[in-house]
Amino acid sequence: MDVQYIGEHLWAGQLGQLAVFASLMFSAAAAIAFGVGQYGKVDQAGWLRTATLAFVIHVGAVVAIAALLFLIIQNHWFEYYYAWAHSSRELPKEYLLSCFWEGQEGSFLLWMFWNAVLGLVMLWRRPPAFAGVMAVVSVVQFFLSSMLLGIYVFDYKIGSTPFALLRHEMQDAPIFQRADYLSFIEDGNGLNPLLQNYWMVIHPPVLFLGFAATLIPFAYAAHGLLSRKFTAWARPVLPWALFAAAALGSGIMMGGAWAYESLTFGGYWAWDPVENASLVPWLLLIAGIHTNVVYVHTGRSLRMTFLFYLLTFIFILYSTFLTRSGILGDTSVHAFTDLGMSGQLLVYMGALSLPALMLLVLYWKKIPSIAKEEEAFSREFWIFVGTLVLLLSSIQITFSTSIPVWNKLFGTNWAPPADPIEHYNKWQLPIAIVVLLLSASGLLLRYRTSDVKKFGRQTAAFAAVSFILMVLLEWHFRFSNAAGWLLLFASLFGILVSGYLLGRSLKGRIRVSGGAVAHFGFALLLLGILISSAKKEVISINNGMPLGAGFTEEQNRTNVLLLKNMPVTMREYTVTYLGDSAAPPNYYYKVLWERFDTATGLLREKFLLLPNAQINPRMGLIANPDTRHYWHKDLYTHVTSVPDKSKPMERGEPDFTEHTVALGDTIRLQRSVIVVESLGKAQARQGQNWQPDDLPVEVVLTIRMNDGRIFQARPIHLIRDLRVFHLDEHLPELGLTIRLARILPVEQKLILAIEETEPEQDFIVLTAIIFPYINLVWLGTIFTVLGFIMALVQRHRLATT
Amino acid sequence: MAKLNACAQRLYRYDVTLPYAFVCMKKIHIVGLVIIAVAIGFIISVAGDYSSYETFERAMQMPNKDVQIVGYLVTEKEMYYDPIKDPNYFTFYMRDKDSTIRKVILYNSKPRDFERSEQLVVTGRMQGDDFVAKSILMKCPSKYTDHELVLSQQGPTS
Repeated sequence: MDVQYIGEHLWAGQLGQLAVFASLMFSAAAAIAFGVGQYGKVDQAGWLRTATLAFVIHVGAVVAIAALLFLIIQNHWFEYYYAWAHSSRELPKEYLLSCFWEGQEGSFLLWMFWNAVLGLVMLWRRPPAFAGVMAVVSVVQFFLSSMLLGIYVFDYKIGSTPFALLRHEMQDAPIFQRADYLSFIEDGNGLNPLLQNYWMVIHPPVLFLGFAATLIPFAYAAHGLLSRKFTAWARPVLPWALFAAAALGSGIMMGGAWAYESLTFGGYWAWDPVENASLVPWLLLIAGIHTNVVYVHTGRSLRMTFLFYLLTFIFILYSTFLTRSGILGDTSVHAFTDLGMSGQLLVYMGALSLPALMLLVLYWKKIPSIAKEEEAFSREFWIFVGTLVLLLSSIQITFSTSIPVWNKLFGTNWAPPADPIEHYNKWQLPIAIVVLLLSASGLLLRYRTSDVKKFGRQTAAFAAVSFILMVLLEWHFRFSNAAGWLLLFASLFGILVSGYLLGRSLKGRIRVSGGAVAHFGFALLLLGILISSAKKEVISINNGMPLGAGFTEEQNRTNVLLLKNMPVTMREYTVTYLGDSAAPPNYYYKVLWERFDTATGLLREKFLLLPNAQINPRMGLIANPDTRHYWHKDLYTHVTSVPDKSKPMERGEPDFTEHTVALGDTIRLQRSVIVVESLGKAQARQGQNWQPDDLPVEVVLTIRMNDGRIFQARPIHLIRDLRVFHLDEHLPELGLTIRLARILPVEQKLILAIEETEPEQDFIVLTAIIFPYINLVWLGTIFTVLGFIMALVQRHRLATT
Repeated sequence: MAKLNACAQRLYRYDVTLPYAFVCMKKIHIVGLVIIAVAIGFIISVAGDYSSYETFERAMQMPNKDVQIVGYLVTEKEMYYDPIKDPNYFTFYMRDKDSTIRKVILYNSKPRDFERSEQLVVTGRMQGDDFVAKSILMKCPSKYTDHELVLSQQGPTS
């Protein structure tokens, strides 16, 4: 029986599906036509015209898919599974974009979109051999389009369409037998609250732009092999590679900024498989850029340039496979949905990487190289060694991250390192030191031959200054271990050398200083990483619970209980939890931080932090940190446990006991003593406005708790239109409800009705961490990216003139 | 003779024995050797970092080594966390692959959303009969995949 469903907007999905097919077909057509246009013998111009047309239509189709998907999300058309699964009505407008790329299909679409944009730039500039590059780009677009198909071929599902209908995805639910099912579906599942952060609006597009941009060096290298014109591509590829390094680098660090601001593992980098998977291609790309520059200057390292650029994109494909095939399973917090596409992802990876690597092996001997050894004191030799170290770094990260893959391949049962941060740091820290030392001294050398004496003098001078600075900084920071000293020394050396070169190039050669700026930023970044991670300090340690050396379990004691209005001392701060304010589903916990001068006791600083938690009905408590930024440190706090207030307690009529008192009297209760201070006309309060004829009277009470805390309460007795209203003081955390029941003017007495119950304790459990000099991390990143962009502009100028 | 480079030929003339031939290697080969040596060192040292997934039974036999155990939360037994008493003490019971049930102690706050976790990976070591965890990794299927269909109670709204 066919049901005629009511209220669906099926045209959008049908149009979208059509666009997916068009995108697939025209990318295939473009790939073939660009290929024939580049490598064929007849009518090249005609083939290129056809190819360009096909690619432009393909781009139009990609834009149409994206626009339709966005339309569906924006209009909350929940008959579409994607909109229902990833968005909801109350979601703020700016996050609708994040819904777009929360799902796999959307992120493939984003990737495809950037490839399309880069392809258009290529078609607009039409550099030599652009058709060879575009053929590879079109092949990649073909594979990506197939990821969005969602059709079955002989029981095997190819791709997953973003236009699937909810009633197809959940066929078993009886609701879909009703024609008017849509009117029952009030809201979507919503966006993962962790992704509701502004970094999540900008981080995925930038990261995917980086992914897309690594395709161009790969395509250039592949074309170089296919056409056997091994050298022509080396200059035009450089600006593209630099652009990719800038985009991928900023994408990765934006992910770090997001993790730092909205996740609660306390840091910006955790050696998580997903982070590693995007770091490795970046490292390989950096190696490739360096060998590429060496080739341009000396004619050496061309083979390695081929290898690095090919590997960069191959590892992008591998990272896609790792994060999207579900193979990482429970080793990553970034679990993506497994759409059952691992087979297809493998085909995608194999179809591009195997031919490329085979061609490289085949032509390895034919790629020009210089037989004579390079000089020991030449920039090219040191850079070459440095790139091998980067390769080693990539191998280590890949090997450890791929443990689930080894388990699958070899049937082993290895567990990933129990402490990933320690495991990776053990390797990457020495590598970082070597890379810093090599790159800084490499900057002091010249290509081909250098004045060894001058190099020795300069190196010695910089090393001496770095050493003195290291001793001074060590005296201040106390890293107290050799690895810390070495990294400190190496990053200071890097900063000084690149800073010196930068200063020198400011005199008229600013254009060529991109390299110095990037190296300066990189050294600054590593210095920031060293200080902020080695000297990161948890200040929310329970009093009387010292960190025992060697007691690893004790190091977990990073949480402090803050009872409402009970100040707790954390290092130089006095911290008080003042209460929460709710803007469902978000709860903001007001925490007052005060710092007093140790000598005079005067208040030096006072601020409020509002770490919040989202009590999400489907996902439980999701905490969001709040951070106080200083120029030299961050104070980072988040709640780790809160009482569940999502279900309000039912309160019946209080069980009052009446006390007849005069002014100045005291009332003794179990947990407190109440002093009746004064009586007067009540001032209007928040949420209560008196009318002209109202007669509001309040009594001021001082409550002295047995534990010494003192509070004030002001219950109100209001006469309005000859009727009495009581505005009680309800103090659940003191276990008191106080009502000014009656006023006896003749006797000059009052009747207070008081209910005393078990005090309800309002509290939060808080973790607070100080990250010293974390701004160096962000500053270093900015300089590095800026350096890439400057070098890009310069190399672009050189390539076009 | 002809295949040896100039350096090696010189040594050959002086009848220097084979080990000294290192002197005559290309710089890049020396660098390559160093890197290979480091890589081998890496693999050896790393072997110590990788553990396999163990059970409570096996963890008992190696009380001084951190192990990782995969298991499931025992929902019938008590889960204890009273932040007012101690915000850094959380215990629960876990069943491992061999269906052994042990108490797990975590000296930290209760991980968020703990009840919903389906599968757990705990890292730590046994202390007596209890397992003291350094860290807990939860797999919550609800987080990303298991969407539930929420329908309006009132019926058609439009």
